[in-house]
Amino acid sequence: MRLLITLLLAAITGFAQEGTAVRPATWKAIKFPPLKQIQIPKVEETTLPNGMKIYLLENHELPLVSGLALVRTGNLFDPKDKVGLASVTGNAMRAGGTTSKSGDEIDEQLENIAASVESRIGEGYGTISFSTLKNRQDEVLAVFHDVITQPAFRQDKLDLIKTQLKSGIARRNDDAKGIAQREFSDLLFGRDTPYGREVEYETLNNISRSDVVAFYERYYFPANIILAIQGDFDSTAMKSSLEKLFASWTGQKPPVPPFPKVANTPKPGVYFASKTDVTQTNFMIGSMGGLLNDKDYPALEVMADILGGGFRSRLFQKVRTQLGYAYDISADWGAGFDSPGLFEIAGSTKSKTTTEAIQAAEKEVRKIRTEMVSAEELETARQTVANSFVFNFDTPAKTLNRLVTYRFYGYPDNFIFDYQRAIEKVTQADILRVAKQYVDPDKLVIVAVGNAKEFGAPLSALGRPVTDLDISIPEPKAAAPANDAASLAKGEVLLARMLRALGGKDKLSAVQDAEWKQEMQVAPSAGGLKASQVVMWARPASYRQENVLPFGKIISYAGPDGGWLSTPQGVLPLQEMQKQQIDLEIFRNWFLLPGAAKPSSTKDQALTLSDGKLTVTYLLGKDGLPLQANYQLSGMEIEEKFSDWRETNGVQLPYKVSLTQNGKPYLEQTVQSVKLNGGLKAEELAKRP
Amino acid sequence: MPTGYETNSLFLRPTVWHNKRRTVRLKSSTLPILLALPALAAAQNLEDFKKRVTEFTLANGLHFIILERHNAPVVSFHTYVNAGSVDDPKGKTGIAHMFEHMAFKGTETEGSTNWHAEKAALAQVETVYDAIEAEKNKGPKTDPEKLKALEAKLGEAIEKADSFVVPNLYDRIIESNGGVGMNAGTGEDSTDYFYNFPSNRVELWFYLESGRFLRPVYREFYKERDVVREERRMRVESDPQGKLIEALQAVAITAHPYRNGPGGWASDIENLRVADAEKFYKTYYVPANMTIAIVGDVNPAEMKRLAGKYFAALPKRPLPPPVVTVEPAQEGARRVEVISPAQPMEFIAYHRPDQYDPDDPVLDVLSSALSSGRTSLLYKDLVRDKKIALAAEADATFPGGKYPGLFLFILVPNAGHTLEECQTALDAVIQKVQDSKLDEAALARIKTKIRTGLIKQLDSNSGLAQLLTQYSAAYGDWKKLFTSLDEIDRVTPEDVQRVAKKYLRPENRTIGLTVQPKGDK
Repeated sequence: MRLLITLLLAAITGFAQEGTAVRPATWKAIKFPPLKQIQIPKVEETTLPNGMKIYLLENHELPLVSGLALVRTGNLFDPKDKVGLASVTGNAMRAGGTTSKSGDEIDEQLENIAASVESRIGEGYGTISFSTLKNRQDEVLAVFHDVITQPAFRQDKLDLIKTQLKSGIARRNDDAKGIAQREFSDLLFGRDTPYGREVEYETLNNISRSDVVAFYERYYFPANIILAIQGDFDSTAMKSSLEKLFASWTGQKPPVPPFPKVANTPKPGVYFASKTDVTQTNFMIGSMGGLLNDKDYPALEVMADILGGGFRSRLFQKVRTQLGYAYDISADWGAGFDSPGLFEIAGSTKSKTTTEAIQAAEKEVRKIRTEMVSAEELETARQTVANSFVFNFDTPAKTLNRLVTYRFYGYPDNFIFDYQRAIEKVTQADILRVAKQYVDPDKLVIVAVGNAKEFGAPLSALGRPVTDLDISIPEPKAAAPANDAASLAKGEVLLARMLRALGGKDKLSAVQDAEWKQEMQVAPSAGGLKASQVVMWARPASYRQENVLPFGKIISYAGPDGGWLSTPQGVLPLQEMQKQQIDLEIFRNWFLLPGAAKPSSTKDQALTLSDGKLTVTYLLGKDGLPLQANYQLSGMEIEEKFSDWRETNGVQLPYKVSLTQNGKPYLEQTVQSVKLNGGLKAEELAKRP
Repeated sequence: MPTGYETNSLFLRPTVWHNKRRTVRLKSSTLPILLALPALAAAQNLEDFKKRVTEFTLANGLHFIILERHNAPVVSFHTYVNAGSVDDPKGKTGIAHMFEHMAFKGTETEGSTNWHAEKAALAQVETVYDAIEAEKNKGPKTDPEKLKALEAKLGEAIEKADSFVVPNLYDRIIESNGGVGMNAGTGEDSTDYFYNFPSNRVELWFYLESGRFLRPVYREFYKERDVVREERRMRVESDPQGKLIEALQAVAITAHPYRNGPGGWASDIENLRVADAEKFYKTYYVPANMTIAIVGDVNPAEMKRLAGKYFAALPKRPLPPPVVTVEPAQEGARRVEVISPAQPMEFIAYHRPDQYDPDDPVLDVLSSALSSGRTSLLYKDLVRDKKIALAAEADATFPGGKYPGLFLFILVPNAGHTLEECQTALDAVIQKVQDSKLDEAALARIKTKIRTGLIKQLDSNSGLAQLLTQYSAAYGDWKKLFTSLDEIDRVTPEDVQRVAKKYLRPENRTIGLTVQPKGDK
């Protein structure tokens, strides 16, 4: 009966004259009808004979099926010297293809049918997901199965993933906010712990294919996987096709151990990282957070929410709205399912008001632990949770996600309802108590990233010790030169031997200038470019290189006064990478070898030369001439192989040089002629075209 | 046609400035693991949608699109204002964005302890500010003492006005009533306001949304101006990519206002006044220039009743004029450098026509062929095989689509590789697309992907609400959302080759790249 009346009312009001109804004077006059009952869908659970747990949720709204396998693994298990292993493995499971198909073939197959299969490993779990149209379900499930059970980890894709991760390292200091977040987190968790380590060139270089395979084999087995699938299918049919699909995958492994515990005592204070190309400072303020199932978590969550949780929060009102210091300002009580999160305040402000903005935020932290929050603030926070609670259930997928997450971490199924009830019970006194107990303003870690020259008040005005952070990116240690007497002595012997073979110190030192004419062929996989080159050098360090390429002439110059690159598009300054290349060029110059760098040797015929910054290792042949040289350039492993040695003016020079990058062929140089002491002058080499 | 806020790219970002970045609160309600959401909805075709859509236009011209979706008791609201930073007047860049921020300052009744007194105090702020400007306008004859005194007076006037403010009450009402995903964005072509409510709070949305556009209040204007200025520091001045794209836009586009970023220029922002915001509002926030979509568990007849009750009071005003400036044809390559210690990055822009041009769908197919997914030409060549780029991507429509704009590429070299290498490889790929036709299999795949990409956004109430308003406002009919896919389907390999030759010409190109500072090691 009631339904009928509602319908009638709607029909009548639908015809009402537009705009004749009166707008209420205040929003409080609006009557809200009770919210419709939420339908919580039922999830089917089962365990396959091999031990894999399956959760199925039918959802017939759209003809789609999607799923996610959750795996208990994570980069928390990365060995210390191989940070990045989990990440490489997670990516390579999909990208490196399966035993039956290459990654590229899978790309093509899936994109043709608008489906996807992806795999990843994060800090505390791994995922393999898929999504497909219903009518392609079997085909996509087969790929999904193969990615989980028979990844092939092809080497070319491992190289690609590592290359991309290295580029990420090279770019990690380009984003000021990223620096602040990274340094803040590493300081709190401890830089030398699984929670605070960063992936570096060095640790990536240490990862081999066999490491990846071993990592996969340790963690990917049926009993360590939870599989959740939702969409347009019949659960009974889905169950039987999964059973069939995974029937032969039965390997068992010992259970995965718990993650390492967070154990670090952060040193409170202000930490500053300099970034000069910005007009604002990014800052983070905070301390350790906690777990989601801590009994005080609900009160802490409300505390952080009142402090900096939204437009209505104190930090937003004070630092943004009233002071106009920040666009971005927020606070968060970080809590994890199985390891603590971080309590953090994050913001950014113009360089000049750096110290003032941090002070204003600090003041709010002190205030929330000395004065009770107002009843209105608490009520607003509680209502926010209560009234938006429905959005936890607005799609069936959310219910499935939640259930699976709780099972994965061993949380009770009704955790979200317990949480909601706990929020309802939080009192003003609770908030004051937890703020006092968990937040110590004197023990805060404060990180600021910005341009100190433009700060109004210095960071020292915060009255805490200020430590400068070194955020420079460590270059990989290439065959670190040894320092013990035996290695040094052996290095001297090998160096003398190599110099003799090259023609002797005197002959080498007599060369004042040199000119090589050569052909250069870049490997097809790296572009296949072909060029004729003339390389000119004059003591001590002037280089000119003229390249004739299919699309024009490129001339580069580097000398004590700087350098440039002349291209058909105009003259450009040298880029960082090119400068590094020049430094290495000088370091490897045959004629400058006598007495240039410190020799050492720890291995047979391997001679390492180092000036403390650059390091090159030569492998000597029977005749004393180097067979190859190995060094690093911007995180890449370079290997040069020398052959076809010929004599000019009593000096031996290689006429053929083959170069590989990270183990892959990169280019071949074939020398046509060499002219020594032809009278090249440094000034001439520097002339612009 | 740009498709709003969705972007899968790591590097190409939508040109929209949001009011607020953080939207996640009370975390235990958002778990860390999300299932891949439904990707494709082939059955969700036009006929199916037509059945569920109700449209009506109020007498003042305000257009509503209602889409019923009764799966859960929730509703998404999206207000699309067909004006953006492209409409910023000269010397007032950033005003569209500034007004968007002011739209969160409340109303006469929400956010003031005493509107009558606050109104007078706000008027006094303007009077003093006028006097300051008058003094400054004397140029060399400005009296510094007088100016100083006036500035002190301004500070006092602002403080007085602020004393009547209940800070952020408008937002607080939304949040405490269960509003989620509240935000707004200012782009080149439009300004968007959006959030979600539980379905029993629908009338509250009508009350609040109509309130802020009926009689906007300009409280805390000058402090919010500082916030807006700070937003520029964050998005442009302290971000290498932000700096580069701003420089590129200004060099590639010489006359049309698309040359200005959505946030405006620093000095313009620092001099914006309340009168500028008011004028912008009166000109562009015209009911007939606004479109509203409501998607979710609602009754269309009830929506119509509430629309009349709350929005009929918006006065009918004439539609604003479009931008008349036409960008002249580019007659020669251009290049712009931004000195930055960051790792190298490059944008390459070619002029293209607006989204109403018959070549628009072809350009979408071209950009998809070049950079969508792991089977795209640029990914395969630069990222996968040559391993010289971390990313190489294309965007067919930048910075907006209403007027002729740019077809954009971004090149992000891998460590140890240079922009020159990437540029050479990109040029070779472009050459290949101009010299040969796409094979039919690749074209079919691209069409499937574009369809998927668009329909992907139809699986959420909020995505639907945004798209319905956008297509309705831009093309006059939301159905274009589906018919545009038919246009994509009609694109032939010959079309793709033709537009590649027509637009991707060296003399139509502007390159923007970062270069290392001199002497920097």
